[in-house]
This record gives sequence, C-alpha cells and structure tokens, in this order.
Amino acid sequence: MSTKQELAAKLLEGDRRALSKAITLVESSHAQDRETALALLDSIMPHTGKARRIAISGSPGVGKSTFIEAFGEYLINAGKRVAVLSIDPSSSLTGGSILGDKTRMPMLANNPAAYVRPTPSGSMLGGVARRTREVIALCEAAGYNTILIETVGVGQSETEAANMSDCYLLLLQPGSGDSLQGIKRGIMELADLIIVNKADGVLLSSAQESATQYMRALSLMQERMPGWQCPVVLCSSTEKTGQSETSAQIDAYFSHAQASGAFTQKRLAQKLYWLEDETIADLVDRFKRDKSIQARYAEAVKQLESGRSPARIASEFVSLLLNNSQKS
Amino acid sequence: MTHFKHSPYQDWESLALKERRKEAPDEMLHTTLEGIELKPLYTAADLAEIEYHESLPGLAPFLRGPRATMYTGRAWTVRQYAGFSTAKASNEFYRKNIAAGQTGLSIAFDLATHRGYDSDHPRVEGDVGKAGVAIDSVEDMKTLFDQIELDKMSVSMTMNGAVLPVMAMFIVAAEEQGVKPEQLSGTLQNDILKEFMVRNTYIYPPEPSMRIVSDIISYTATNMPKFNPISISGYHMQEAGATCLQELAFTIADGIEYARAARNNGLDIDAFAPRLSFFFAIGMNFFMEIAKLRAARVLWAEYIDKLFKPKNPKSLMLRTHCQTSGVSLTSKDPYNNVVRTTIEAMAAVLGGTQSLHTNSFDEALALPSETSARIARNTQLIIRDETEMTKVVDPLGGSYYIESLTQSLINEARKIIDEVEEMGGMAQAVVSGMPKLKIEESATIRQARIDKNEDVIVGVNKFQSDDEQQLDVRVIDNQQVRVGQLKQIDEIRSTRNASVVNSALKSLSAAAESNSNLLEAAIVAARARATLGEISDALESVYGRHQAQNQSVGGVYGRAFEHNEQFMELQSQICEFEEEHGRRPRILVAKLGQDGHDRGANVIATALADIGFDVDLSPLFQTPEEIVRQALDNDVHIIGISTQAGAHTQLVPEVMTLLKQQSMNDVVVICGGVIPPQDHAALYEAGVSEIFGPGTHIPDAAANLLDHLK
Ligand code: B12
Ligand SMILES: Nc1nc2c(ncn2[C@@H]2O[C@H](COP(=O)(O)OP(=O)(O)OP(=O)(O)O)[C@@H](O)[C@H]2O)c(=O)[nH]1
Ligand SMILES: [Mg+2]
Repeated sequence: MSTKQELAAKLLEGDRRALSKAITLVESSHAQDRETALALLDSIMPHTGKARRIAISGSPGVGKSTFIEAFGEYLINAGKRVAVLSIDPSSSLTGGSILGDKTRMPMLANNPAAYVRPTPSGSMLGGVARRTREVIALCEAAGYNTILIETVGVGQSETEAANMSDCYLLLLQPGSGDSLQGIKRGIMELADLIIVNKADGVLLSSAQESATQYMRALSLMQERMPGWQCPVVLCSSTEKTGQSETSAQIDAYFSHAQASGAFTQKRLAQKLYWLEDETIADLVDRFKRDKSIQARYAEAVKQLESGRSPARIASEFVSLLLNNSQKS
Repeated sequence: MTHFKHSPYQDWESLALKERRKEAPDEMLHTTLEGIELKPLYTAADLAEIEYHESLPGLAPFLRGPRATMYTGRAWTVRQYAGFSTAKASNEFYRKNIAAGQTGLSIAFDLATHRGYDSDHPRVEGDVGKAGVAIDSVEDMKTLFDQIELDKMSVSMTMNGAVLPVMAMFIVAAEEQGVKPEQLSGTLQNDILKEFMVRNTYIYPPEPSMRIVSDIISYTATNMPKFNPISISGYHMQEAGATCLQELAFTIADGIEYARAARNNGLDIDAFAPRLSFFFAIGMNFFMEIAKLRAARVLWAEYIDKLFKPKNPKSLMLRTHCQTSGVSLTSKDPYNNVVRTTIEAMAAVLGGTQSLHTNSFDEALALPSETSARIARNTQLIIRDETEMTKVVDPLGGSYYIESLTQSLINEARKIIDEVEEMGGMAQAVVSGMPKLKIEESATIRQARIDKNEDVIVGVNKFQSDDEQQLDVRVIDNQQVRVGQLKQIDEIRSTRNASVVNSALKSLSAAAESNSNLLEAAIVAARARATLGEISDALESVYGRHQAQNQSVGGVYGRAFEHNEQFMELQSQICEFEEEHGRRPRILVAKLGQDGHDRGANVIATALADIGFDVDLSPLFQTPEEIVRQALDNDVHIIGISTQAGAHTQLVPEVMTLLKQQSMNDVVVICGGVIPPQDHAALYEAGVSEIFGPGTHIPDAAANLLDHLK
C-alpha cells in the first residue's frame, strides 16, 4: 500500500488486506504512524456509522467466542457481513499474548463474509478500547454492517464496551439459585439483551430456571432505555439453538431505539465521550512521549526531597506546562 | 568365614550424609516430574507400606503380571506399527516383516483415512499415503491383507475417528477371504477420549463418538470373541507431554468410562471387560516405567472390582501393548536412538507387557526405512532370544525400590482418578479440557527443562557431535499415491450398484438417528462398496464434525526462565522492535493439512508469547488458502508452519505461491517440526526463510526470528 490515499481507496472498496493494514496503522504505538492514521480516519469518516455495533460481554469461559461463531454464521446466512473484534485477550507477564480466537471461531476465520481480528492488549497506551473505536470505524468503511465486539466482562472494559456499542449483549451461565448474587448488579444494568448460554444437555433445565430468575431480577431494575425491558434469551452456541431468537430481539431493540430517537442520542453521546476520552488519553500520551517534558518532570520529582507536598509540586508543574504551551 | 552383623539403618544414613555433604536426610530426596519423592535408598523396612508385595502373577490384582507364567511360557508379541503409501506397498512390507520374525501386524493408516476423508477430498491433498497407508474402500483393505491369513495373524488397527468404515471394511475383506468374524483376532484402538485430549483424529463430537465406541464393543462381544474392540491408550498422552503419573491415571479413568458406557449400553461387565486392552508408552525413566505398568494392573483390578463387581476374574486383568517413546528420540546424532530404544524396550519387558513396538532410529526424520525398521525389530528379538531375560516371571518383583515406586504411583493415581470421577467421569473431564491442559502444561515444563539444560539429552543439549551424517530416509510421493487412489475410487464408483450403495448409506444415517447398531449398518455399506468418505459423511450428516476448543497454557515457560540472561536480552530486543515498529512482532503459528501433531505448535506458541511475541494460533487442519487468509487478516510479520506429518513438501510451496499472489512478500515464512534434511533445499527454494528441526532451543529460535525481521 504505497500511499495513504491508496490505502483509503482500497479500504473503501472492501479490500481485506487494506483493512488489515489500516488496523495495524491505527493500533500502532509509533508516534509517526499516528498522523497517518488520523488522516486516514478523516478520509473515511463519511463512510462510517452505518453498521450495527454489538458488544458481547460475559465472564471468562461463558462462551462468548463460541456464541459469536454460531451467531456470526447465522447473520452471514442472513446476508450480513460480520467483523469480529476482540478486546482484552489474555496477555502474559511479559506483554506477549496468545491469540487463540481463530481456533474458537474457525468458521468465521475462513468465511469470506467475515473478518476476525483479535487485538493483543500488550502495552497499548490508554487502554485497548481507545483504538477499538477507530477499528470499528475502519471495519464500517470496509463494508461490514455488523460489528461484534468480544469483551471480558471484568473491570473497566465492560463500561468501555458499552460506550462504543449500540447494543450490549450480556452472556450468562446457567447456574443454581444463588448464581444471581454472584453477578454484579452493575453489569446487569448495562445489558440491552441477556443471553443464557449453554442451554443444552444437562444444563438445559438449570438454564431455564436461571432465565426466569434473571427476568424477575430485571423487572425490578430501571430500564436502560425508556420502553425497553431487557429480554432474556436461551441459547446454545454448540447445538446452535437460540440464534434466531437472539437476532429477532436485536432487531426489535434496534427498531425501538431508532423509532424513539434513543439510537441517535446514544451515538451522539458516544461521539462526545470519544472526544473527551481521546483528549485525555492523547494528553497523557504526549506527556509520556515528550522528552523535554519528561526531563522537566524529572526536575519536579527532585523537589520531593525538599519535603513539599506532591500535590503542590504537581499543580505547579502542570501550570508551568500549560503556560509554556500557550506561549509557543 | 566371617559373618557380618546386620547394621542399623542409622549407620548407613550418617555415612550417606557425609558422602553427599548434607545436613539432613531430607536434603537427599529427589522429586520426579510426577511429584514423587525418591529416597536415595530403599530397604526392607519400606515393604511395610506395600499393599500387595506378596501377590502372585496371574492372580488378582495382577501386580506381577496378567499371566501365571508370563514369558517363561510364551514371549510377548513382536508387533511393529507400520503403514505407508498404497495398500500394495504396505502389504509387501508386512509380508517381508512377518518372514523376518514379526509375530503380529499393526496397521498405520494415513491421515486422510483417520479423519474420514477419501483420497480425492480437497482437504487432504498433502496427506494421502504420507504418514500411513491410504484406504478408500474394501478393495484397498483386501489388497492390504493379500496373502496374509486373517484367521491366523492377529491384526491391530490404530483407528479412532473413522472406526466404523475401517472396521467394517476389515470384516468384509476377511469375509471375502473366507474368514468369519468369530475367527478374527486382533485389536482396534477405538479410544476416542484420548483423541480429544491429545491425538486429534476425532471426527464427530464427543457424545456420538462415545456411542460409536459402545456399539463396536457390543458388536464384538457377540460376534468376535477373539477380538479386542478397544485399546485404551495412554501412549499418546505421554507422547504429547504427560508425565507417567498423568498417563497412568487418565488412562485408567478412560477405561472406567468405556466400561461404564458399555454397561449402560446393556452389556454385562463379564461379556466385554476381558477383551478390553491397554496401550502405554515407555519412555526413558526406566524404573518409573516398570512401576507404571505394575501399578496400572493393580489400579484396573481395584476399580473394575469396586465399580462393576464382575464374576469372571479375567475382567479384572489388564493386558497391554507398549511402544517405546518416539518423543525421546532425536534427529541429531540419530544412532543414539538405538540405545534409547533398547533401554525402553527392556523397561517394557521388565514391566510385563503383552506386546511391543520398538521405534526406529530415524523416528525424528521420517517413517522408518527398511534398515531402521529391521534394527528396531531386532532390538526386541535380541532381548527376547539372547539375554535370558524371559526365563523368570517378574524378575524385579520384591525389589524394595520397584515395589515402593509402584505403590507411590498407585497412591497418587488414585487421587487423580477419584478427582476425575467426581467431575462425572472422563468424558465430562475431557469436555472441560482439564486433562488436555494439564498435559500441555507438563509438555511446556519439559521443554523449559530441556532448553535450560536441566534435563540432558545427549547429542542435543549436551555432548553434541560434529559429525553430521545424513541418513537415507523413506520418501513417499504422495501425488503419485493420490493419483492411483483416485483411479481406484473412480473404478469402484463406476462398477458398483449405486442404488444398493445409496440405500445402505441411508440406513446408516437412519441407524445414527435411532439406536440400532452402527457397525452392522456400516458393514452393509462397506460390502456394497461404499467408500470410507461416503460412510463417514453418512454419519457426519447426522452428527456434524467436531471442532476443538483450544485452551492455552500461559506463563509456565516464562516463569522457568525468570532472571535468565538470554531471556531478558530477548525481551529488550522485543521492546526495541516495538518502539521502532509500533507493535510487537506478531507470528501466526500454523497447522496445515490433516496433521494433528500439536505439541510442537502449542509449546512454541506459549513460549514465544512468554518471550513477548504476539502469537496467533491457527486452528488445526487448515488449507494453505486458509492460513494465508488468517495471516492477512491478522497482519502478522511471520508465519511459522509447524509440520510433523510430512505434508510440508506439498503444502508449504502452496502457501508460498499464495503469498506471492496476494503480494504478501513482506511476510517471513519459517517451518518447524519433522523435516528431513533432504527436503530443506526445496523449501528454501520456495522462499522459506528458516527451518527449525526437532530439538530446537526456543530462545535461540526466537532470537533467529527477530534477526529475520531486521
Ligand atoms: C509426539 C508424536 C506423536 C503424538 C502427537 C501428540 C501431539 N498432540 O502432538 C502422537 C502419539 C499422538 C502421534 C501420532 C501420530 N504420529 Co507422531 N510423532 C510424534 C513424535 C514422536 C514427536 C513429535 C513431537 O511432538 N515432538 C516434541 C515437540 C516439542 O517437538 P517438535 O514438534 O519437533 O517441535 C520442535 C521443533 O521442531 C521446533 N518447531 C516445531 N514447530 C515449530 C514452529 C515454529 C514457529 C518454530 C519457531 C519452531 C518449531 O521447535 C519445537 C521445540 O523444540 C514424532 C517423531 C519425532 N521424534 O519427532 C512422531 C511423528 C511426527 N509421527 C508420525 C506419525 C506417522 C504419526 C501418525 C500419523 C501415525 C498414524 N499413522 O496413525 C499419528 C497421527 C497423529 C495426527 N493426528 O496427526 C511420523 C510422521 C512421519 C513423517 N513426517 O513422514 C513421525 C515423524 C514418527 C515417525 N518417524 O514415524 N505422534
Ligand atoms: N455445552 C455448551 N458449551 C459451550 C457453549 N458455548 C461455549 N461452550 C463451551 O464453553 C467453553 C468456553 O467457551 P468460549 O467460547 O471460549 O468462552 P469465552 O467466553 O469466549 O472465553 P474467554 O474468551 O476465555 O473469556 C468451551 O469449552 C466451549 O465449548 C454452549 O452453548 N453449550
Ligand atoms: Mg473468547
């Protein structure tokens, strides 16, 4: 891909290799790549925003990848083009990772209507989500109309995923009566749709029981979107049952959201959030990268010896920085 | 003559402490990979802890052997595993071997056959006839046993995925030779649980696969009284990395699961248990291996008695085949392998095996040549006929050490088996992925120990030889074999009665949906000349094809290398790379064709990730197109093809061509695995940048990869 215009053009044609290189570009931690990446994003922005962005969340091992494999196949058979992005895969002590996603989604990995791209969480500055937003835009520009984002439902990543998707699917395990206590209320409140996965074999009856309990619990919670009561769907990703119900509920969700205006509102709010988040992340980035700032910071650190309060040192240091940049 | 007084143990202990310059006896203990603590000396006092040291051979719990007279009456069966190219070529090889002293046959099928594909299937292009013999129909099966009297020769068949068509074709081939099922003797491996764990030639999901196993057990129980319908195999677990203890415990737990499945299928335990047979690996840990076989017999007797209460004592008796360990053999300084195999064969004999395969010294290069196969066979003939080792039953029985070690293995294995039983049995445990992950963890620990020179392998990480001799290895032209097979398939398709075939296949699918015996239905189809692929498809249309879920070990390799200088140097190189390129080096570890050897790929993947690479792992069984597509989608710097089953000659150049077509010339391609030096030039010519053979030191390989990215 010789020039960035060419890259953008190819990307818009849906060229797989262009998409793949473009993702590498926006994910690059190299400062020089950033400018190119921003230019690329500028040129494709008009072509983004048309896909359904669906987050798939749930605790490790609940079956997210297997669900995506089964549901993705269903969507493709229905004529969709599906991009799968995974956030926060396992990362080892040293920062390297094993990305086994293709072993869990072998059909999607090889299907022409799908694109599966796992992102190593390694040493990404500002959290993986920061680049995932950009990757979503690239996939949309390349013509994927359904974006599935796999995220482990722990810590920050769940709210981040909710903040960049239109629809938040929460996968839950079938479990005994007290399993409900184990699930944080906060996560349930994020969900637009709850899937009780592994509703098959010996787990089927407990899955049905769990579904009833979840529904009861949900009825006591506030609606996340006015007029939308989060439904609970039973699903088996291995036996491939429940995909059409899932799809029907998602359709219903989108029609409701679009009709009520909630969809447009949410997208707008997410853009604002993106701007705010990126501003802060970029500031931190520049702070860390700039050698002269780092040198001055080292000076500030020395003031600790004088016994001054760290809060005071920080405040003076930041004022100094901001005044300086105003002058230059 | 002086008569020496019996000295107290303390006298020895203080002497020993002095010799070893240690303070306390505990400091002289050695912990094995199994986690068993060994003392430097065992004495008569240790016998107090032994449950069965007074037991006798031929009598439960069979600690000292399944038969009363063992080799003093009849030696073990010399059963060399072999198969390659066409049925005709393999048949000639078998007949020669029988003439040279082999006493039983053991058939190795090619990977297309294993996975239920006919030779004309597009996914098996590189695999036909490569790692075993190609069988598409009854006609091939008849050729395979041409001039071999199936009522006299016992035949073992290593088949698990495509068991139904293969067993059916075997029965029909015999029938057309004039031999009835009840006259057939031999063994079918038919152990599907370990396929999901380590051997990877499964076809259908676990549940229907277990049903197939039970149906075959039922069929042989009524129709083939001299045939072992299953060989419960630990062998592959050890070869995939399991410790002796893991191999022992998981194998017995597998056996329990099969017995349960057959009983739930309505069979009485005594109708089938006497025909359940076992298969273990014998590695270099000499005494551990001997103890393992003895412990296995006791455990089996105990658990079968407890869980199934058989009336026939034969139901409690564990009979086993053994094979020396292939993974202990090296491509470097390969004649050392003769010595290793000899030691292992002796352990198998001293442990009391019923039959034995000894590996060839070219094991880590290619399928055995005529010469290496002869020496392998002679290794056991020499032990049998020249050493007098066969003249006394269980010659090591009563050894303080052997008995203690046996007891330790029994005790530890009981814990694991009970844990598995608590999970709901081995079928459940296998679905959970637990045993597979444990074995992969052991494989990773072993790799780290070798790479850190903590475990010595002569000629590999110590005492390397400068004298690099190139062996003549067996070469198989898979394209030629494939063309021949295609012709044969065409001929069969044009001469058979299509409507008979179709209705036989329909009945087979119907049987799969009901509960009538699947082997019976498969026999009808095989007789009508349905091909192996067609029979497999008829079942696949009902059951689907199983897709493995890979879980990966993480951190084990890295922890072993904490503070290691080379390791830290690599990590800083990776940081530099990241600063320069905006991301870490990213490698796709790829498995092509029907090759299911995944130990090497998994170990490489986890080790490189611990070093700091981003590693994408491909699913098993990919075509060149699929690998190139995955490399493209993930935008990797390197494709690392791990290849063990010989298909590299065909498939790697195809990958290179596709990369060129996609103008992905910047992607570095390297190969690792079993690649004889004879093949190197062609691979380099095709554009491969580096070839890593067996015994590769992973940090060195990582450094090399980074060099290629500069
Ligand atoms: C272990 C083993 C098995 C195990 C596999 C367990 C598993 N899950 O992997 C079991 C017992 C199940 C097995 C079965 C079979 N096996 Co086998 N097996 C071996 C054996 C003994 C060792 C391979 C191994 O795992 N070594 C240990 C690992 C760590 O080493 P490695 O793979 O070489 O990897 C190292 C390097 O090569 C390199 N490397 C490898 N890949 C990569 C990738 C990258 C990116 C890098 C940087 C480096 C690298 O680094 C690694 C670390 O040092 C070899 C013979 C041998 N000694 O090599 C035969 C061998 C590969 N098997 C063979 C055969 C024929 C089979 C069967 C097909 C037999 C049959 N007909 O049924 C079956 C079917 C298996 C299948 N599904 O494909 C043949 C293949 C013949 C050929 N190439 O022409 C061999 C060569 C034995 C022989 N001489 O006959 N096998
Ligand atoms: N019985 C059953 N098992 C399932 C189902 N879906 C997934 N599994 C199994 O659950 C295990 C975990 O599945 P994954 O899809 O890898 O789960 P995940 O949530 O993506 O896991 P992480 O990515 O590690 O967080 C695998 O062994 C799957 O085979 C299902 O619907 N039924
Ligand atoms: Mg997952």
